[in-house]
Amino acid sequence: MEAASKEKVPLPNRLGIKGWAWAGRYKIERYLYTLHRLTGFGLLAYVALHLVANGSRLWGQGSWESTMNFLSNPGFKVGEYLVMVAFIIHALNGGRLMLQHLGFTLGKPKPPVYPYVDSMRRRRPLVWVLLALITALAIYVLVEFVISGD
Amino acid sequence: MRESHLKILQYITATGIFFLVGLHLIVSHLSSGEPTDWTSVAQRATSAGWLAAYILILLFGIYHGMHGIRGLILELSLPNRAVKIMNWTILFIGIAVFGYAVYIPIQAF
Repeated sequence: MEAASKEKVPLPNRLGIKGWAWAGRYKIERYLYTLHRLTGFGLLAYVALHLVANGSRLWGQGSWESTMNFLSNPGFKVGEYLVMVAFIIHALNGGRLMLQHLGFTLGKPKPPVYPYVDSMRRRRPLVWVLLALITALAIYVLVEFVISGD
Repeated sequence: MRESHLKILQYITATGIFFLVGLHLIVSHLSSGEPTDWTSVAQRATSAGWLAAYILILLFGIYHGMHGIRGLILELSLPNRAVKIMNWTILFIGIAVFGYAVYIPIQAF
């Protein structure tokens, strides 16, 4: 086992991080892959900030209230909205990826009859439903919790 | 641990985060009242149920985030020695963050 892992030579990743954005004619699923990563980074940054803010509780009520006052400015309110949208995108797209990785959305095998339809295109309706849901939820959160000021 | 097991854990933690963070958002931030008021915060801090939920969110969230970052770094085709160092570094950071983060609700409880 140890010897086998020592012999493993990873294939070169020639595109690197640039490949997240462009390496030819990417389809919409590939951009969802990039969006999944960006929202993941955003959520991680938010969690770090959230933990630091929550840590102010350790120094008592005064420290907590001054932290909350600092975080109540409009810039952080916009940030909170972006975090909620990032959560919606990451969660729904993550659900799609889980279903696909586990084979639930692959559909039945078909004979290769022209015009060929690859599995990506057969699953495309799921992507449109996902994007519609993301848009609807993002608008709902904007109207209900940001514009109405609740 | 095999990579496939780590991936399954990624899915399990994702599902857990979805429901627990959803609960946290609905009860703490979207319900009526002011959830960030000191009295409201202090009241939640004495609840064993909330303490358990926070610990689970931290466990699931830190595993999910750290494993996600590991996946991104692994795509950079690092040599095996660098992968081992990176694995240990990510494990160490994850445990350190969990230790700090879990201390906050436990101390308040």
